[in-house]
Amino acid sequence: MRPENYKPVRHPPSHEYELYFGPNHPGIEGNYAIRVRLKGDVVQEAITDAGYLHRGFEKIMEERLWVQNVALVPRICVPDPVPMEESYARAVETLGGIEVPERAQWIRVLMLEMSRICAHLFTFGGNAATIGLYTNMFWGVTMRDLFLDIFEEITGARIYHMYITPGGVRRDLPDGVLDRLAAVLDELERKKPEFDDLFFENAVVINRATGVGVLTQAQALAWGVTGPNLRACGLAHDVRRDDPYLVYPALKFDIPTATSGCSLARMHVRRAEVEQSVRILRQVMERLRTVGGPVRAHLPNPLAWNVPAGEAYARTESSKGELAFFAVSNGGPKPWRIQVRGPSQMHGVQVLERILEGARIEDVAQIMFSLDACPPEIDR
Amino acid sequence: MSENAGSRNPLQLRDQPETCRTADAEERSAWQRVIGRFADNCRARSLFVLHYCTGCGAIELPPTITSRFDMERVGVSPMVTPRQADILLITGYVALKTLKRVILSYEQMQAPKYVIGFGSCTINGGMYWNSYATIKQLDQYIPTDLFIAGCMPRPEAVQEVFLELMRMIDAGKANAWRDYYRNYDHYLANQQALFGPQWHTPTDIVAEAKHYGLMGPGTTGPHTRLLDQHAEWALDRIPEDYPERGENERSER
Amino acid sequence: MTSQRASVPAQLDHILHEMSEVRVTPKGERRVRVDLAADRLPTLLQLLKGHGGFLHLSSISCVDWPETDEFELVYHVWSYESKMLISAHTLIAKSPGRFVSVYDIHAPAGFYERDIHEMYGVHFEGSPNLNKFILTSWHGPPPMLKSFDTRAYVDETYAWRDYNPQWLKDIAAKGGGIEE
Ligand code: SF4
Repeated sequence: MRPENYKPVRHPPSHEYELYFGPNHPGIEGNYAIRVRLKGDVVQEAITDAGYLHRGFEKIMEERLWVQNVALVPRICVPDPVPMEESYARAVETLGGIEVPERAQWIRVLMLEMSRICAHLFTFGGNAATIGLYTNMFWGVTMRDLFLDIFEEITGARIYHMYITPGGVRRDLPDGVLDRLAAVLDELERKKPEFDDLFFENAVVINRATGVGVLTQAQALAWGVTGPNLRACGLAHDVRRDDPYLVYPALKFDIPTATSGCSLARMHVRRAEVEQSVRILRQVMERLRTVGGPVRAHLPNPLAWNVPAGEAYARTESSKGELAFFAVSNGGPKPWRIQVRGPSQMHGVQVLERILEGARIEDVAQIMFSLDACPPEIDR
Repeated sequence: MSENAGSRNPLQLRDQPETCRTADAEERSAWQRVIGRFADNCRARSLFVLHYCTGCGAIELPPTITSRFDMERVGVSPMVTPRQADILLITGYVALKTLKRVILSYEQMQAPKYVIGFGSCTINGGMYWNSYATIKQLDQYIPTDLFIAGCMPRPEAVQEVFLELMRMIDAGKANAWRDYYRNYDHYLANQQALFGPQWHTPTDIVAEAKHYGLMGPGTTGPHTRLLDQHAEWALDRIPEDYPERGENERSER
Repeated sequence: MTSQRASVPAQLDHILHEMSEVRVTPKGERRVRVDLAADRLPTLLQLLKGHGGFLHLSSISCVDWPETDEFELVYHVWSYESKMLISAHTLIAKSPGRFVSVYDIHAPAGFYERDIHEMYGVHFEGSPNLNKFILTSWHGPPPMLKSFDTRAYVDETYAWRDYNPQWLKDIAAKGGGIEE
């Protein structure tokens, strides 16, 4: 038995060889594989191989009611599930012409930004682990857990919240959760110098990550790179500002950029984004203390809800880049077609294949993590 | 040596020179029990989990392993290679493509090995019950010791299942791996139902079953016949003057 | 050409003017829907990219319409300058199910075309790589086609575990359902 992706190298010169990277490999993010052809230490060619996490999401979503899919969507991207819920909900709202109450919009922004911080903390840990710095991983994951506790308090679940539903959110915030969130944010800021010390001012990181996996702005634009990876090449594009949704226009935040487009630059952008998210969260908490009202719009009976025919394209800025749901309804109780456009579908496949060329074998895992590709999003 | 291997005491692991005093069965089994008990006890206290993230449940493993819940204090830690690992944690749904790799990894692990199915997807399909791409019951393809219910299970549940597994190992009850050898044909049949009648792995499970003395009535059967053909085919093809490995290497240099 | 041109920005209007038989429907603040014949689509993308700054191909979607035996292909392009998303809809016949690749205009198309080829069986001429990607272990028909019934496939391929405890029977006896 050979894996179906196995193809022997034709007439290999003795110094060229092929290596499987994954799916069972500690340097791989998730269940994903890259086949690299090497000459000495240098990658000649990289071919990605996905599908290990394929669940046929788009198919089974067509088989379920619109409201049942709320439980399904967060599972598309595991480390950053909230933007999935948000995009789906917004696509359905656009189709059904539903207005989300203001308080629900603020709560959604709260959830989205918390999820962004969680995902970035996780990426820090993972990225550091690929160059052998495990302390970072331990700290990042533990810090993230404090946010998961808040999530659990609000929604009842640590990872898959299923909290954002078409028309609003499932229920209102519990009492006192904003104070506890404020405490967690303070803790994060208190820890920040330590994280900096451990990662951004660490000589190992600086030496290993500077100038590795460089993307120029022209390449990034041509290959469909979005999100922090695009901003690390100097283009300040952010869906939150340029194609605004929810209450983002009412919030003050900067769009951090870097210029060099290397691994380290991408991580610097993420670090600055965490700071911006904290800033956004503080503003949102302020507003949530005053904005009242319902958290859910009135929906028709969800079990017999025929969403009006039409199509909608809902874009969201997830922690990885531009996430979009394309929803088509034919006026029936179930979606006719839902397509998920995940940022990793670009970052993890074509972009990765290209920037790995000429990289060294020890940097492969690091480059993959610095692009922050999320395999379940590629496979769906 | 090999022709009478089947007639020997199945507990005897290696062929020993005939001149050694051969312990009789009763004596042996008493010793075996003492040693086995001791070994189980030690085994339960040093478990390595294979680092293979098959599905979404893998996201709860970092919290379980790192500082907050810290599994290492009870003696469970991650391991990157299947050969050195004891536990295969199937963290959620298994797509067809992954299942092939899971079976391969499982067979590469050295016995005794334990499988934990993590989340409702491994039990009966879970969320993806009507998906064409994921399997529904993990224990049809590889024998599973324990399941954790939940979607997704919390780190506390993961800890609990590790502790339960330790108790089971300590009590000598975590024996699902033996079932794979005893009923290999059954598992292979299920695997072949998905991957086609030509499916088999390079691992020689039947020989391993002989080695461990775990040949059962279900080890071989209609589905393993293909493997016999394969073995014969391989024997036929090795030429008489096949170079020894050492020679080959020397000539290359 | 429809009359709703007024709400489409002037710059875009200029481009779409060069194309005949294009139906433009503004759909909300930053969304424009364009309907056109399949053979004009590459030209439109080229024009939009060259003159309108629509550099970013956000995605390509495929929708199966079994009643008319057609596939609907939707190309979503985004402009970083005018901050607008154009969704170009076009219909192609299901058989032979062929279309041209737009890889030379937008490199990201490579992934989406490969994906659509795998999930729907549409062949894109000139696409750099249409090899199997996600479904290498799959031997059935393209699964996203409406004619493929995943429920039936699952029922015949997999067995279900028997699980029918007393509490479940009790609920079933009560007529099932949600308790308030
Ligand atoms: S049981 Fe739930 S969390 Fe686990 S793999 Fe299945 S869907 Fe994901």
